[in-house]
Amino acid sequence: MNDILLEIKDLHAGIGGKEILHGIDLTVRRGEVHAIMGPNGAGKSTLGAVLAGRPDYEVTRGSITFNGADLLAMAPEERSWAGLFLSFQYPVEIPGVTITAFMKAAVQARRKARGLDEMKTSDFLKLLKEKMAFVKMRPEFAKREVNVGFSGGEKKRGEIFQMAMLDPVLSILDETDSGLDVDALKIVADGVNALHTPEKSTLVITHYQKLLEYIRPDIVHVLKDGRIVRTAGKELADEIERDGFDRF
Amino acid sequence: MGHGNYIDPMKDVRPGPGMTEAKGAERYTVQAGERLELTYVVLPGESRDIDVSVDLVGEGAEAVLRGVFLCNADERVRIHVLMHHRAPRCVSRQLFNGLAGGRADVLFNGRIVVAPDAQQTEAYQENHNILRSETARVESRPELEIYADDVKCSHGATVGRLNEDEQFYMRSRGIPEDEAQFLQMVSFLAPVTSVLPEDGRKKVEAAVRTL
Repeated sequence: MNDILLEIKDLHAGIGGKEILHGIDLTVRRGEVHAIMGPNGAGKSTLGAVLAGRPDYEVTRGSITFNGADLLAMAPEERSWAGLFLSFQYPVEIPGVTITAFMKAAVQARRKARGLDEMKTSDFLKLLKEKMAFVKMRPEFAKREVNVGFSGGEKKRGEIFQMAMLDPVLSILDETDSGLDVDALKIVADGVNALHTPEKSTLVITHYQKLLEYIRPDIVHVLKDGRIVRTAGKELADEIERDGFDRF
Repeated sequence: MGHGNYIDPMKDVRPGPGMTEAKGAERYTVQAGERLELTYVVLPGESRDIDVSVDLVGEGAEAVLRGVFLCNADERVRIHVLMHHRAPRCVSRQLFNGLAGGRADVLFNGRIVVAPDAQQTEAYQENHNILRSETARVESRPELEIYADDVKCSHGATVGRLNEDEQFYMRSRGIPEDEAQFLQMVSFLAPVTSVLPEDGRKKVEAAVRTL
């Protein structure tokens, strides 16, 4: 098995004709937890969006290799099937579609793509129940419309629940800590940590150092003005907490 | 509800394209304590003129009119509703949701008239439309004529497209684009199709796959 899970080379990308990322290089090995920190407007969410394949973002230069495959040639759903997961900063409300229907469609499509039979409904419901309990979501949420009327904390917990259901090899958490109180933050972090294995990697995108007290990164990058300006160990997060981003 | 309720939840589920259907205006009179319930379904390939007038003539009468229309070719669909509140304390609801693709041409014209004596009327009307092509045309034309002063009345009309943020969110979870759009369309129609019997709902869902 290749040791490198994700390799980004000279990535230039933007939206609406405006370049936001000006040449990103990033290598994530299996088992590693990386944090990408940066001030507002640095391009953090753009990086997450480009990795997940958001159609309105354009990549103008560079390459991304995921698990040995050309990520940029893949549709968003194919990236998911290959084991990539983005936890959204702003999870989208889908009126009229229940969490059960939504996850069932996701789980069955993935199985189909991998040449597996449909999962039996009873097995699916058991899995759903188990993973909801894992992030301490009340069982009645299974019948709720996706993210509709959820509090900020419930939405983020819902993201980690989906992550647990889909069992990705690369989890990208885009500002998962924003708007969470300490209790919710802890539930989310516990979930992420429990899902982590030596074969999997996590990319934590965050403005603040707080989440990194609960999800300990191996490597911290500072993203500023569309470039990674510094890479170091966990101690870099503490430095940022103390001194801010201004000195980069 | 009291005696004499008129409930016909499956007035017009068509088995498919190529069927003949009754033409001309329909007219219903709803007496005190009665409830009229009509659900219209227009499937792809059908051009239809729906022209329905409802007179709420007895105190406390109720009418619920729902409809879905799905077009994917060069259909011409006209829906004219006249909801006439003539007596006090009547309640009416209209909900028509449609998907228009191809070169379809759709008009929804929902008129609510509240007579001077029809105090404490409640009259609601919603018409929501999703365009599935550049060439489809939908016009939504609500008309309210209110002559009483103690009335709760509202209407909402929208013409839009499937939400792309929702689609990306679903795709990012591994739901293919066409399946994501299917889920969006089915949920969009659900407020109407949820009252249909199982086979009617299945027919509509099969038709959604063609859009």
